[in-house]
Amino acid sequence: MKKFILTASILMAVYSCKKESQKPTENKTEVSSETPKTNNKIVSISGGITEIVSALGHESEIVATDVTSTYPESLKATAKNLGHVRSMTIEPIMAVSPTLILASDKDINPDLLGKIKASGIKTELFKQEFTVDGTKKLIADVAKAIGNTDYQKLTDKIDADLKQVQPIAKKPKVLFIYARGNMMMVSGKNTPMAALIDLAGGENAINDFEDFKPLTPEAVVKANPDVLFFFSTGLEGSGGNEGALKMPGVSQTNAGKNKKIIAMDGGLVSGFGPRLGEAAVALNKLLVESTK
Amino acid sequence: MKAQSKLYFYILISVLLLVVLAIGALYIGVYDFNGLSPFTVLSQYISGDPNLALSDKYVIWDVRAARVIMAILIGSMLAVSGTSLQGLFKNPLATGEAIGLTSGATLLAAIAIVLGGHFKEYLPEMVQFSLTGISAFIGALLAMMLVYRISTSAGKTNVVMMLLSGVAITSIGFSITGFLIYISKDEQLRDLTFWNMGSLAAATWTKNIVLAVVIAISYAFLLPKGKALNAMMLGERDAQHLGINVERLKKQIVIITSLMVGTCVAFSGTIGFVGLIVPYILRLLFKSNYTFILPLSAVLGSILLLIADTISRSIVAPSELPIGILTSLIGGPIFIAILIKFKKSL
Repeated sequence: MKKFILTASILMAVYSCKKESQKPTENKTEVSSETPKTNNKIVSISGGITEIVSALGHESEIVATDVTSTYPESLKATAKNLGHVRSMTIEPIMAVSPTLILASDKDINPDLLGKIKASGIKTELFKQEFTVDGTKKLIADVAKAIGNTDYQKLTDKIDADLKQVQPIAKKPKVLFIYARGNMMMVSGKNTPMAALIDLAGGENAINDFEDFKPLTPEAVVKANPDVLFFFSTGLEGSGGNEGALKMPGVSQTNAGKNKKIIAMDGGLVSGFGPRLGEAAVALNKLLVESTK
Repeated sequence: MKAQSKLYFYILISVLLLVVLAIGALYIGVYDFNGLSPFTVLSQYISGDPNLALSDKYVIWDVRAARVIMAILIGSMLAVSGTSLQGLFKNPLATGEAIGLTSGATLLAAIAIVLGGHFKEYLPEMVQFSLTGISAFIGALLAMMLVYRISTSAGKTNVVMMLLSGVAITSIGFSITGFLIYISKDEQLRDLTFWNMGSLAAATWTKNIVLAVVIAISYAFLLPKGKALNAMMLGERDAQHLGINVERLKKQIVIITSLMVGTCVAFSGTIGFVGLIVPYILRLLFKSNYTFILPLSAVLGSILLLIADTISRSIVAPSELPIGILTSLIGGPIFIAILIKFKKSL
């Protein structure tokens, strides 16, 4: 037994040394019905990045995406959905024979990143900041990675859209509630929601902490938001407006008393891609209406 | 001698089954080798065929084969550590989980996941990359040392004390982990959850070599201990009279087990039930004869985890189910079936 184990481990050591000297790369031939601008087969594992690639006219090159890549919807038919980035594994990615993998550095888990690096497939990791400048930089970076530097129209559109945001005299306090089943989280500072609320002329209701924290009745009452803000799917899952009004603490707030509840598509709110301006305008409209 | 040849026969049969299952597992996956069979691709790889596409090579060797071997190694280690601990404690419920090793490993892994961001940049790059794994390993060792300290006085280890302090350490570990879960960010929470359910998706040959070295060292010590563990069942004093150095045996088993559990948890997260179910099944089939069940658990553990992992990565393809869910799901019914069958003899 001992002998067998020893031999086996020596054999494994030999093979693994052999492997580490090689760096495999993709060398399969491209088969596509359309003629893409470049010969990339892109796996995009971040909603915002997927939007940028598509907006630059390279949608047909995307062969697989993650679960947050919900826009444009036409991708559903052409690209494979690999699930959530945190639970993704390497083999399904290899199965679509990509030539380029695009990901956001904060989403991807280290194990998968290690595997992707070892596969030798060209990979670009982007840093995503939830600001207008950060979004413009991301667009420029992604454009460079896919070999299409004609991105000015996208950044211009963001600026043009943002100009349509109407100033709101008395900034409404907006509380974003991230509802998933029975789990309810509220967004603090440095979240995409807080940044978008700011761009749309509102004020994030809770600034005591960063990121997301579980919702407590006292915190809701203390924050006393004027408007409650949900993802459309999250609001649906919590029983719509009525369900939201029944959440602990909500009835004591201005938003609860005046029944001011708004919802937007999750991908639009948190993508921070080419539709950033659009998202800000849409939220701005909802806020203007709710302060009337 | 007759018993000995019977044992070799069982081992031979189960190793053959394992080999068949391992080859079968190579065939299962979402990647398509352009119509070639995975076995052909693997033999092409081993013979160094230059015509083999590089991505085919990567998938067959670094993804699939690495993962199959990791399942075999980790399954074996979890089962053997469970069997040894149960023999040592004379308690069918003793596993790495019960004496606090898993909890210690999980706690430090959770600290690395949630708080790692604050100190990661000060560490060398190699450590940064496997911070969670290294922390888990240290956690298992610390838990083991603590349990051992508490339960040992005047050079003697009290087994009941050991199990009880394991319970205490587990509860402390889980409450601190719970706190970390509370303060964690969304993506950290996901990492923690997946960690707690285990996965072999991060298998690499480097990890397999580490596991193989740990196995070679551990099994060289543990596998010949069947007779000593049989003697332990008579009671520690009687075992002592039979010429067994009981204290040394305890020390060896506890240290080696925490080494094995720590390494496994470090590489795969926590995979429950294997260490409990495998020795239990074997004990029901072969009574508590450790000369049989110790070596056989090394193979049966591999078989169980290999089956579980193959299902876990194919049942919801292209995504995958955490393996811990499956080990419990597969293990549970087998466990009940055997319990019912052997009801009278229990």
